[in-house]
Amino acid sequence: MLIELGLLGLAVVLFFAHGVWLARSQARLSRLTGTGRDSLARLVTSRAVNVEEVAALQSLPKDVQVIAFLEISRNLSGTGKEQLRFVAERVGVVERSRALCVSTRWQKRLRGARILSQLDVSDPLVLRLLGDKHPAVRAQAAEWAASQPSVPVISAMLELLADPATQARFAVQNALLRMGSVVAAPLRDFLEKHTGRAAEAGLRVAESLAEASFSPAALRHSRSDDVPIRVASAKLLGAIADAAAAERLLELIRDDDARVRAAAAQALGRMQHWQAGSLLAESLRDKAWRVRREAGLALRAIGAAGVLYLRRALKGDDRFAADMAQQVLDLPEAAAG
Amino acid sequence: MNEIVSSFVSQLLVKGQIAVLVYFLAVNGWYLVLLISSLLELRHHMLLITDESRHLLLSSTLSPTISILAPAYNEEPTIETSLRALLALQYPNLEVIVISDGSKDRTVQVLTEKFDLVPVKTIYQQKIKTKPVRSLYRSSTYPSLVVVDKENGGKADALNVGLSFARGELVCAMDADTLIEADGLQRMVRPFLYATDVVATGGTIRVVNGSEVRLGRVAKAAVPTHMLAGVQVVEYLRAFLFGRLGWNRLGGNIIISGAFGLFQREAVVNAGGYLHDTVGEDMELVLRLKRLSYERGGPGKIAFVPDPVAWTEVPESPGSLGRQRDRWHRGLADVLWRHRRMLLNPRYGITGLFVFPYYVFVELLAPVIEAVGIIGLALGLVFGVVDWNFAALFYLTAYGLGTALTAFTLILEDVSFHRYDSFRDRLLLFWWALLENVGYRQLTVYWRLRGLWKFMRGRKDWGAMERKGFQPVTAAG
Repeated sequence: MLIELGLLGLAVVLFFAHGVWLARSQARLSRLTGTGRDSLARLVTSRAVNVEEVAALQSLPKDVQVIAFLEISRNLSGTGKEQLRFVAERVGVVERSRALCVSTRWQKRLRGARILSQLDVSDPLVLRLLGDKHPAVRAQAAEWAASQPSVPVISAMLELLADPATQARFAVQNALLRMGSVVAAPLRDFLEKHTGRAAEAGLRVAESLAEASFSPAALRHSRSDDVPIRVASAKLLGAIADAAAAERLLELIRDDDARVRAAAAQALGRMQHWQAGSLLAESLRDKAWRVRREAGLALRAIGAAGVLYLRRALKGDDRFAADMAQQVLDLPEAAAG
Repeated sequence: MNEIVSSFVSQLLVKGQIAVLVYFLAVNGWYLVLLISSLLELRHHMLLITDESRHLLLSSTLSPTISILAPAYNEEPTIETSLRALLALQYPNLEVIVISDGSKDRTVQVLTEKFDLVPVKTIYQQKIKTKPVRSLYRSSTYPSLVVVDKENGGKADALNVGLSFARGELVCAMDADTLIEADGLQRMVRPFLYATDVVATGGTIRVVNGSEVRLGRVAKAAVPTHMLAGVQVVEYLRAFLFGRLGWNRLGGNIIISGAFGLFQREAVVNAGGYLHDTVGEDMELVLRLKRLSYERGGPGKIAFVPDPVAWTEVPESPGSLGRQRDRWHRGLADVLWRHRRMLLNPRYGITGLFVFPYYVFVELLAPVIEAVGIIGLALGLVFGVVDWNFAALFYLTAYGLGTALTAFTLILEDVSFHRYDSFRDRLLLFWWALLENVGYRQLTVYWRLRGLWKFMRGRKDWGAMERKGFQPVTAAG
């Protein structure tokens, strides 16, 4: 009983003491952050570096400095951000973040990478974090990499497409997309050499970039034994939309797996490849609902010829094909597009 | 002869009381383990989210599409505000499906007028049998909004209809009156990005009573002064912040609140969707997903997100609250009964050997044992078998440690999210934490026992809940 009372008493004291501490520290933090923000704003907008302002910033607690820098960094780009980085160097925020990046504790490395990412600081230390043990750190380094589109960074990022951690893989794919067409050539080479999960992730990035140079890789991967890779290849072929892609998609629409057939039908619709009309009309009789649906939508997407096939299906002997054709024809223009 | 009977009854009462006391100690001891576990989990979580920039997720075309399924039944007064808040959620690939479950009021008309709905046709595959759909609408001003008007079939049926129309990889099941934080979905989707074996995520639900609500968002959280609502604030904090968070670290989460949960659509559809004939359809689905992951393979991890993500109105009248608790307990009993073969079955891993027995012996049977304890103590005092010292010891052991644990939960909230930051709120929280032991807990024992009784008699009704509505803000600001 005494133990319980003791625990209860301790909890009460801690609860209220923490409340008092929290209220005071928040008020202090708010005041200091305001001061830091003002100094920083003046430093970023002025062309010359005011030594007194820098000293004033340096005199603030280190956490407050970081808060002020991160708050302002979100609203800056271009020369403003360059000036902010310059000030961060002068104040010591960048150096301290670098030190965090080499810490033995993952949480400190994560924090270091986060600060350097948000300040867009180009630093080989963050590049090294792409190979960190902790997935959250790798993901953060990938986020940093999105604004550093150099050859070594892109190469390191591509290798991470096979990362076993979903979080890191997602961050890498996203960063590669944000880098834009600069990743096209290295990604093409990467897709030539890799298979499996890495290739699937790469194909997804390639689909968004939709460059014709991915065509050989897409054609090769479309013959993979792996269903998700064939699906991703079909989507990429639909995005590339050249003659070779169309030819291969006409084969994929007869694939053994329904997911691949559906992706091929969808891709043909996306390409508005009217020559595929008869094959798509056949796919309206597919045993898989999702294939019938994608084939119907594709027919609608390819225009008058496709609509004609849909109308014919209404009078056909396959009631599933007729039903799907009716549903697709009933769709309003916006939903079918 | 009388002496023998009297001695036997005395022995029975004393030994019974000691057994109940040991049970309470064991349960509170386990709660202590959960508290420590939640402390570690919370620390890890806070380290991961500090200074996190979620704009990456917001701007990514790779973010999974989420379909929000919002069943609505006679929600005419609140549907517009709730829906506007949903449409303003910060998530890039979002679809909102409102399912009017045969509303008898003007819910559909209000939606049509306020959101420019036009009747549409669409292609969908009905994998789960449901009540017929009357009509389908799409908004001409909000392209991501779909409204389904269907015949009444209950919440589970409405959610199943939503599943058929949803296009998202993930579906978010919620109550139409749940208030979701603007960035709630970004937080909830995180576990799906972090691991491939996650099938569902649940977030922290907070009590909105007493707080200021502005345009469907909680503008300022506050602890209610109304006793029943106030005590429930403490209960919710305890249930989510140390109960579910603690289990999260131990890999034993099997509950996701029906008010707000995120699921892999394909897994839910393949599992057969929500069951109609249970009042615990949310827990049943989660346990079924978990069970199927053991039986068929595939994703089965249930993740819990401790950030406060959604707010719900709790009942303030004893009648309404009693009906809710009775229904919850009936639901629990029903779900555990349906999946009873998991109990102590090694095939179901930690869930069968550890989590399931916990729910049976601690969550389900707690009111029975507590009632035995309370009645036994009263009888013991009346017949002079136990003295007042023992009674005080019993009461403090049964409830004292629980109160201490609750106080530590309040500290957890304070050091992590501290949404209740005024001194008044702090005092109120602590006051309600103390007061819940005097009368309220005993009432919940009665309600839960009633639920068990009704379950045994096969009752499956929901009972009505009176809603007071959110506290509006008069001054703009």
